[in-house]
Amino acid sequence: MTRSLRWLGSRRLVLLAIALAGAWAAIYLQLAPADALPGEGGLRLLGKLIAAAFTPAVTYEAPDVPDGAAPFLVTVAKAMWTTLVFAAAAASLSTVLGLFLGFFASTAWWADDPIGGSSAVRRVLRSTVAPIIYSVTRLLIALMRSVHELMWAVLFLAAIGLTPLAAVIAIAIPYTGTLAKVFSEVIDEVPRDAALALRGSGASPVQVYLFALLPRAAPDVIAYALYRFECALRSSAIVGFFGITTLGYYIKQSFENAQYHEVWTYLYGLLILVVVLDAWSGAIRRRLVR
Amino acid sequence: MMSATEQVEALNRKRPRSAFLRGSGVALLILVAAAWFTGGFSLGDLFSDGSGEHVSRFLREARPFPVQKNDDWSEAGPWAGKLLQERGWTAAINTLAVAIAAIVLAGGGALLLMLPAARTLATPEPYLPSLRPPSPLRRAAWRTIVSLTRGLFIFLRAIPEYILAFLLMATLGGAAWPAVLALGLHNMGILGKLGAEVVENTDPAVPRALRSLGSSRSQIFVTALLPRNLPRFLLFFFYRWETCVREATVLGMLGLATLGYWIQEARAHFWYDEMLFFILLGAGLVLIGDVVSAVCRGIVKAGSVGSAVRTRRSPLAPCLMPLAVLCQCLHRTKAGGRGTGSDCQWHEPTATEQLGGSLALPRIASN
Repeated sequence: MTRSLRWLGSRRLVLLAIALAGAWAAIYLQLAPADALPGEGGLRLLGKLIAAAFTPAVTYEAPDVPDGAAPFLVTVAKAMWTTLVFAAAAASLSTVLGLFLGFFASTAWWADDPIGGSSAVRRVLRSTVAPIIYSVTRLLIALMRSVHELMWAVLFLAAIGLTPLAAVIAIAIPYTGTLAKVFSEVIDEVPRDAALALRGSGASPVQVYLFALLPRAAPDVIAYALYRFECALRSSAIVGFFGITTLGYYIKQSFENAQYHEVWTYLYGLLILVVVLDAWSGAIRRRLVR
Repeated sequence: MMSATEQVEALNRKRPRSAFLRGSGVALLILVAAAWFTGGFSLGDLFSDGSGEHVSRFLREARPFPVQKNDDWSEAGPWAGKLLQERGWTAAINTLAVAIAAIVLAGGGALLLMLPAARTLATPEPYLPSLRPPSPLRRAAWRTIVSLTRGLFIFLRAIPEYILAFLLMATLGGAAWPAVLALGLHNMGILGKLGAEVVENTDPAVPRALRSLGSSRSQIFVTALLPRNLPRFLLFFFYRWETCVREATVLGMLGLATLGYWIQEARAHFWYDEMLFFILLGAGLVLIGDVVSAVCRGIVKAGSVGSAVRTRRSPLAPCLMPLAVLCQCLHRTKAGGRGTGSDCQWHEPTATEQLGGSLALPRIASN
């Protein structure tokens, strides 16, 4: 009896839980394997979609293109640029804000400060004020992250209408939360050698943070910020479903007009953006982290 | 003898510099500047003449419906309870079930597909120096398999879940499958890529020994690579599950029965109170998912529930307490030695790896 239970004690417990949860979900959602295959009409559509993947459109599919409309590929390029612009704006905004919030969400510069307890004021700062600021920031970050960027977009849409800046802010809010969380954790994991040396020679905790901890964490911070930039490309494309003219807007439009070859051109546009950025940031990462 | 200043200058001259990194930095700055200047982002849009009025109207209408009518906050509780009972509860469970089904699908698929994606396994002669050079044809065949699998991963990763679900809905109809498949496929791309990298970076000693005894590729994977890397796979699995919960909520806006469906529905009717209620419910679900995932990761890391609690560093110790008590009751006979973390032969991934959840993570290489 106990032997069989002991067998369960370690990671097998987790694996078993996963299997049970998966089985429950499949039964609850009535996920019959047969339903994963499309029906008659769906199959025809799927066939068309897959066939279109090999022949993406290079000109408009609609027979009657209004006069003066830009050539199709120019529209695609414009949509790609808009997607990139929204992603770059959101990623840069959230990186700056994430670094700012990450400072308050990290413990490295106050909890481990060797000279922190030297006066009564400092002791109070360290034992009460700093933990309170830290906890409040962590809570704020968690709340920002827990609401999806599309939900923020919907909220903005309802409150003031989804202007371009509102869309950028909608993406930037959850991204700031994620970046601040990761930045603070990366900084807290950094070796403290440089920090102690600076602190010992009279630098203030804030100076230690800026000139010892942050530079030490810089490669990981940059690598992660670049990764979020790539995620921002996808988010920026999706915001198009709410009327911003990024790739998602055109994908939705073309699909609803049954212009599947155009859909694939836009999808390949997104693929190119993501793959190029991924290759670039990969090259940067390899040079940063030796 | 150099003066201190000269020494510093000499050190400064010797610092590693890369033209590529500088160029990339400048290019990124230009891109960001161009984005902000050409994107048409004006603060004026946010604070135009009518916007103050819009916001205050939104805030008025975002209050619970009974409160809007007779300004009595005591009716907000029953209102929320009714909403939760009628729609919220089912939608939340649906969301959770979609996320779980999707991640299990993604994990299973990734486990299978990481084999042909790992360059150390998918070669004519894995882990051993071949006596005769393999024929160019076989080498080319294996290389094609690797690139095809990796290409599939890249494609699945690049297309957002939301767009995948949008395309799948038209072909599969409105049941749960489109959401599960969209989430599952996207995450399979991510987990598969991460898993293949972990497999490639595994210490080759054991697989090599097995191979020299005549093991097949799948035998090597099942007996050496999988057990060795399981904790790491599980960590990635749970991190991706967290994002699955987030995304599953949103996919409902396309018309699937998760929380997003009611959010979209409420928005269409301009019922901002219900919209806000379901958004907050979704946020709560995400937070619960984060905690569950953190607890599971804690158990995986520590090797057993008991030692997960004994590790005092864990801020989650209180959350783990009930589980630990249960386990302590179950194995009273277990005394030390096992499950104290000494059997973990892996290092904790950095926060970047954990949350990045993707893409050529730097630290794995130094495994």
